[in-house]
Amino acid sequence: MELKFLVVDDSVTMRRIVNNSLKTLGYTNVVEASDGKDALSKLAADSSINFVITDWNMPVMSGLELSQAIRGDAKLGNMPILMVTTRGVKEDIVQALQAKVNNYVVKPFTPQVLKEKLDQVLANIS
Amino acid sequence: MSIQTENMKEIFGKIDDLKAVFKVGERILPILTSLIDFMGEIIPLLENINTSISDSTNQMPKVSNQINNVTSATELATTEILDLVDEISNELNDIEQAITKILELNQTRDDKFNEIIKHVEKNDKVIELLNEYKTISTYDDTFNIVREVLAKISNDAFKITMSLQVQDITSQQLSAVNHLIESVNTRLTGLVKEIDSSDLKKEFGSMKWEDSESTHFDGNASYIDREHKQQEVDQIISDQKQVASQEEIDKLFS
Repeated sequence: MELKFLVVDDSVTMRRIVNNSLKTLGYTNVVEASDGKDALSKLAADSSINFVITDWNMPVMSGLELSQAIRGDAKLGNMPILMVTTRGVKEDIVQALQAKVNNYVVKPFTPQVLKEKLDQVLANIS
Repeated sequence: MSIQTENMKEIFGKIDDLKAVFKVGERILPILTSLIDFMGEIIPLLENINTSISDSTNQMPKVSNQINNVTSATELATTEILDLVDEISNELNDIEQAITKILELNQTRDDKFNEIIKHVEKNDKVIELLNEYKTISTYDDTFNIVREVLAKISNDAFKITMSLQVQDITSQQLSAVNHLIESVNTRLTGLVKEIDSSDLKKEFGSMKWEDSESTHFDGNASYIDREHKQQEVDQIISDQKQVASQEEIDKLFS
């Protein structure tokens, strides 16, 4: 299965960094969105997207709200979601788990950590 | 006792009361004077404080806008750095590909060389010269060293890219500061409003805030100690997964 990622972050810098990291891991099929609402539009328009990497703190619609929206959608419900955020306190992580994100990476991250978490998510869904 | 005597007694009684009041008044008067003097001094001071707070609250939106400008400027600068790093990485990639091509050509050349050797088997001198030529015209080792250097530069360039995550983190910290300034401004504005509501309404109405409605930042964002932070996150996730959900417990008992 070829992976097509949707990278959701309001920071242009972070989108590029995640995108570049994915490239170094061999994943070149990447779409970007600047917030949760934008991400939902992209997901609705492109059914080939099969992995979401999202930030938490974003205007308009947060990453947590996006995750909840995805999980509540009949078509997108099983989409793998990796949360990449600066939020690292226990309450946040528990909240993210309750929103059924598949894994969680704290910023600043290294490509090794990103790879490790991607692999874990992919192993669990396959 | 006649009515006149009664009236006189009453009048004297009232005079005594009046004397007592005057005595109290004599004691209170210096205090009242001090109080009036104090009020005379404190009112201009309060007016100064009021003006100061008004000026400060007036300056806060400017500070907030400047912080937003800093964020925009650093994001722009970071994008430029990322562009340059990408350009460097692409050029390194081009060089790497060129070296790979050269090494492939060298391999082809070696194959041809070996074929030539086969054809001149009987001429030892020619073989010797050709082997000597082969040794001096081979740059494979040098190219491999260059390749290693290129790989290191490429890796360092990628490390620069990863380090630029600091821009996102600082922009969130600045957003948190901005939010704090906004909160202080709201409180101070409320305070001044009580002192001088009419003037403040004008000032408050003229203030322009940027991005004041939503808080899409993490005030605790930090660039340091990232390895430890990720380990903590992994531990929490692991702990949470070990705890069975209520649904799972219910299933066991149903």
